[in-house]
Formats: sequence, structure tokens, C-alpha cells
Amino acid sequence: MTIAEYIASEAIESFKGGVVDSSTDTSHPLVVLNPKSFKMELQQGIKAQLVIACTSSVTASVEVSLAEGVVLDIVELYAADSIVKVTVHQAESSALSTFSALLSSSHVSYTHALEGRGATNRFNALFVATGAEHQTIELNTRHLVPDCSSNSLIKGIAAGRATGEFRGLVYVAPDAQRTDAQQQNRNIQLDNAQIVALPQLEIYADDVRCSHGSTVGYEDAEVLYYMRQRGIDAATARRLQVEGFVQEVVMRCNMEPLCGIVREAVSDKMSQI
Amino acid sequence: MANGQQLKMLSVKNLHASVGDKQILKGINLEVKAGEVHAIMGPNGSGKSTLASVLAGSEKFTVTAGEVTYMGEDLLQLSIEERARKGLFLGFQYPVEIPGVTMANFMKIAVNEKRKAQGLEPLTAAEFLRMMREKSAIVELDSKLTARAVNEGFSGGEKKKNEIFQMAMLEPKLAILDETDSGLDIDALRIVATGVTRLKTPENATVVITHYQRLLDYIVPDYVHVLYKGRIIYSGDKSLALKLEKEGYDWLINDYRE
Repeated sequence: MTIAEYIASEAIESFKGGVVDSSTDTSHPLVVLNPKSFKMELQQGIKAQLVIACTSSVTASVEVSLAEGVVLDIVELYAADSIVKVTVHQAESSALSTFSALLSSSHVSYTHALEGRGATNRFNALFVATGAEHQTIELNTRHLVPDCSSNSLIKGIAAGRATGEFRGLVYVAPDAQRTDAQQQNRNIQLDNAQIVALPQLEIYADDVRCSHGSTVGYEDAEVLYYMRQRGIDAATARRLQVEGFVQEVVMRCNMEPLCGIVREAVSDKMSQI
Repeated sequence: MANGQQLKMLSVKNLHASVGDKQILKGINLEVKAGEVHAIMGPNGSGKSTLASVLAGSEKFTVTAGEVTYMGEDLLQLSIEERARKGLFLGFQYPVEIPGVTMANFMKIAVNEKRKAQGLEPLTAAEFLRMMREKSAIVELDSKLTARAVNEGFSGGEKKKNEIFQMAMLEPKLAILDETDSGLDIDALRIVATGVTRLKTPENATVVITHYQRLLDYIVPDYVHVLYKGRIIYSGDKSLALKLEKEGYDWLINDYRE
């Protein structure tokens, strides 16, 4: 099932943005299919789930504000070429968890501003670029006040003649003491593809725990040999290896049944490698 | 066996192989018949692991001369996976980790690839699970490990048990075990060796590459070969292993020193 079929079969009404408060039905995910620009304000203490899915090309700007204590899970799927800018403002003790999968020539840039103490931000994303696609994830995690934490894992695969790009910035403002910011980026480059990885840290506070890392690797010849020695042909061995590589991040999507659909879409995309 | 003849399984003649400019195998001759256990011993760097890798089809090495016949076919013409599907199994000295690929998924694909090559239907999920349970018991492999990624976070002993578990799953005709005993404590060694012995049938054969005689207390070889500087310089029965353990290799290799 594709995500569009799922939305149709469940007769889910597209979310138009605006204020989300205790009168909003948040027992199901709020779904935005092929967004134009929209704004969303989550009022104090709200727990909600948001789905953004692009199944046809869009250019959009998404702005989300989390008031104090809001807990928001976002799942994003880019299955058609799109340019999307996502800006999130997080107030005190709010918790944002993002899972994003790019499976087409899209450019998605995130600005996550941690503006209230004790805000937490988890970000898990992957891109799978094949053919002649160019996919870009930009992530700007901004620690503006003390005592916030962020944890990001971005995995990318580029195959064929594709380009996969990750531009990451962790910014820690001068008085954002006791910031805990972790950002990891792992990529695999196959065939004649290209990976561009630009991880950056800008730290102006002195009492912080920050780490970041970025790697670009290739197929592991030893792993392929091992699998082939067990009777698995070279093409399947390669696919298993790259699927295994993204598994860590794919497993972090935890909004069922949507994540099942996302996993299926990722797996379909992988078969093009 | 038909006509009282043992089936000739592997025949290696004058095998030469190199890595880059370095000649490692310099004329190996070896015959293995069904039902036999061969041990290959020898000092470090003599070419034991290279022989195993060349037979498995590793692309790191180039065969420069000689021939290898396996089950009546020219082994060197077959791809790595074709060799495997025809029943050649290599127990790795250093089993690799495959992040994100579970043991169960890995084995399911491998077993079904082999069945496909034999013209058999894939196993049903229930049949496969039953097989996993039975075979993991042979090497006392914790059944939880089969839900984990291949070899990821496995201890040294678990990795080696896992090699024998995979051997049990794939039921090879010819198993080549490359220093399966290295790095094992005495309990793990007993479990691994007992597993290998239980998998022995009159139709299959095992080549055990080892440094130490102790493995051969459990896996009793029919023949022991000493590999030195890329050649088998001496072959004998199981008593040779004991003599090597006591006296070392010096009495054998002095004539071959440069």
C-alpha cells in the first residue's frame, strides 16, 4: 500500500494547519498530503502526531510551534520531487521527534530552534538517491537556551549517478549552557554516485556536551564475499548490505501503521539500487 | 558407496595462487574423498588460509597455474555463490559482522538460494523455524542470537559457533574450516568440534585448517597434511598431528629453509 492509498482508504481528512488545542482530535495522526505552505501551533501540553507526505511535487514552507510541554512526533515521506522548508520552534520542556525519508529528488531543509529550557529534539532521517537524482537534507539545530538536548542520526545512500547531500549545523548560543547535542551522519556511496557531507558545529557556550560525526563509506567487500560464500548472489548481497545499513534509522520510525508503509516505500526504492 | 568406491570430491593439482606480485601457493596437490576428514597444519604464513580462500573463490587471490576439480566440475570456473550452492562451505577464521541483517533473514535467503539451485521449493516459514531450532541446538547456540544482526556483538566463541550453525543449516558436501578453533576456550572448542563431528556423514567431507593438535582430539582426521611455503611437504595419518605437537615443525621444514 502506498501512503496515498492509505490516506484514501482511511478517509483521512487533510490537516489544514492552525491551532491545535484540547478541542482538536489528536487520537489519530494529523495528516498533510502534498502541503502548500502551512502553519501549526500546538497549545500547552498537547500530545500529537503529524504526517507530511509528498506524493506529487510541491514547494512548501511548514512552520510548527510547540508550546510548553508539547509532545509531537512527525513522520515525513518525500516520494516526489519537492522543495520543503520546515521550521520548528520549541518552547520549554517540549519534545519533538522527527522521522523523515527522502526517496526522490527533494531538497528538505530543517531549522529546529530550541527556545525554551528542557526542550528535547530527536531527528532521524534517511535519503536513498538513485538514477540521476539529487537529494538534499539540511539540518540546522539551534540551541538558544540552556538545558536542551538534541540527538540526530542521518543516513544516506547514493547509487547510480545520483548525488546525496547532507548539510548539518549544530548551533549553540553563548548562554545555552549544559546543552547536550549529538549529531551523526553516515553515508554509503555506490557506483558513480556522489555524497556531499558537510557537518558543522558552532559552539559559543563553554559547558556543553556536543559530538558530531560524518562518514562516507562504500560497499564492504568482505561482507559481500561472506554472503556470497553462503550462496547469495552478488546483487542480492549488495541489496541486503545497504538495507542493513539503513535498518538502524528505519527502525526508529515508530508510528504504526504508517511506518509499515514507509518501510515498504524504502524497500521498494532500495530495489532500484 | 557404489562399487565400493568412495566418491572423489575434490582434486587439487599443482595449484599456484598469488596476491599481487606475491606467490603464495606454489603447487598444491590434494585429493579429498567423500566421508574423509583432512587436517591441514603448518606454521604461520605457509598459505593455509589462502588455500581455503582460493577454493571458496575469493577475488583477492589470482590462480596462476594448476586445476581444481570439485564433484567432477572445474571449480575455478564457478563463481563464489555457485560454489557455495553446490555444497562448498567455508567456515571463516574471522566471521564478518553484517549490521541490520538478522541471522534469521540471512539464513533464510541462503538456504532458499541453495534449494532453488537444487530445484526445490523454498521452505515455508514453519519449516524454516523448525530447522533453525534443530540446527542451533547442535552447537548450543543461544536461540536469541538468530534474531540479532549477523555476528554483530557476538563474542569470539559465539561467532565460531555461528559458523558451524550455518554449516548445519546449509548441509555442505565439502566443509573447509579455517582455524575455527582459534580464540576458543576449551568449552567452546568442545561444542564446535562436537558439532562438526555430528554433521559428519559418509557423503560429505571436511577439511580442517588448524594450528593446534587439540582440535584433532575431537575431530579425528583421516589424513594430516603439513603446508609449508605454499606446498604440502608431508602427509600422514592422525599420529602426525601428535608428533607435530610434541616436536614442532623443525624436523620437517629444515630441508625447505632458504
